[in-house]
Amino acid sequence: MHELQIATNIISIVEEEIRKAGKTEDIEFVYFVAGKMRAIIPESLQFSFDVMKRDKPFLADAELKISEIPIKIRCKNCKAEHTLDEPVFRCDTCSSPEIEIISGDELYIDSIEFSDT
Amino acid sequence: MKIQIVRDVLEANDQLAGDIRNVAKNEGFTLVNIMSSPGSGKTTFLERLIPELTKKGLKIAVIEGDITTTADAERIVKMNIPVAQINTEAFGGDCHLGAEVILPALHQFDLSKLDLIFIENVGNLVCPAEFDTGANFNFVVISTTEGEDKPLKYPLMFRVCDTAIINKIDLVQYLDMDMSLLEKNIKQINNDIRLVKCSAKTGENLEEAVNLVVSLVNSR
Repeated sequence: MHELQIATNIISIVEEEIRKAGKTEDIEFVYFVAGKMRAIIPESLQFSFDVMKRDKPFLADAELKISEIPIKIRCKNCKAEHTLDEPVFRCDTCSSPEIEIISGDELYIDSIEFSDT
Repeated sequence: MKIQIVRDVLEANDQLAGDIRNVAKNEGFTLVNIMSSPGSGKTTFLERLIPELTKKGLKIAVIEGDITTTADAERIVKMNIPVAQINTEAFGGDCHLGAEVILPALHQFDLSKLDLIFIENVGNLVCPAEFDTGANFNFVVISTTEGEDKPLKYPLMFRVCDTAIINKIDLVQYLDMDMSLLEKNIKQINNDIRLVKCSAKTGENLEEAVNLVVSLVNSR
């Protein structure tokens, strides 16, 4: 359900940014980055975006491109870095639970691409 | 042509959450956000906790977030403390309380007279974890009937919380549940989280939760 709110936020930020850039049409892609920690379901975000954009003519041909960032941790003890495939927040090398998350928390719009016609 | 933006989609919420923390600091109250799945016992926990905290001299209010009903607020209001009700919409609306609804709710209270404000968030282990309410402390209530695997299924919730209240310990004897596995799963997600095991219904070990909240208020 939080995807709906996030789609709404994406659309209002895009609207603000394209106004600033002085370009209000021909948006082809909106690139969005979501860390795995954020539990975003891409299909659900895509669906919400497509529903919400109906009210926004400037987004008529826009497609949301979502890239997901894996959760990476760094051990504070042995400094080893690991990518988590399951929710075990512990160092795989020395088993220490003293870790910091170095990626996977992202939730941002990276860029907007316009068609070159 | 491509324009680079790099803007966090929750920036507006996070800014407001920061404003809320400033209000709390300036007015001298502590804001505690309580989250859980539906039916974990958030309201019962508050019903039992608040009278004990009042006895300790704390002046308390509650922000009640509930989907379309005022049932929970009515239970809390019986305790003669200020309650602000936030109704999120059941259809097409919110599944969490964002900072934008907390801030106006706070201003319904006479903040200078309060020490402690609880937010009873919407029952949901996903969305409330995502939206910073501006609280100083975040609690998750997890009941013994929910299954030991819940922390693993909703890791973000257990990462953003500083305290996990394991509720309904009075039911353990009737359940096929492994308490040490639940604790291990919570710690596996967040090793720094505090664990308090209690029964809001029978009052068993509620004292530990009372003392914890008092110490959190005093720590600020």
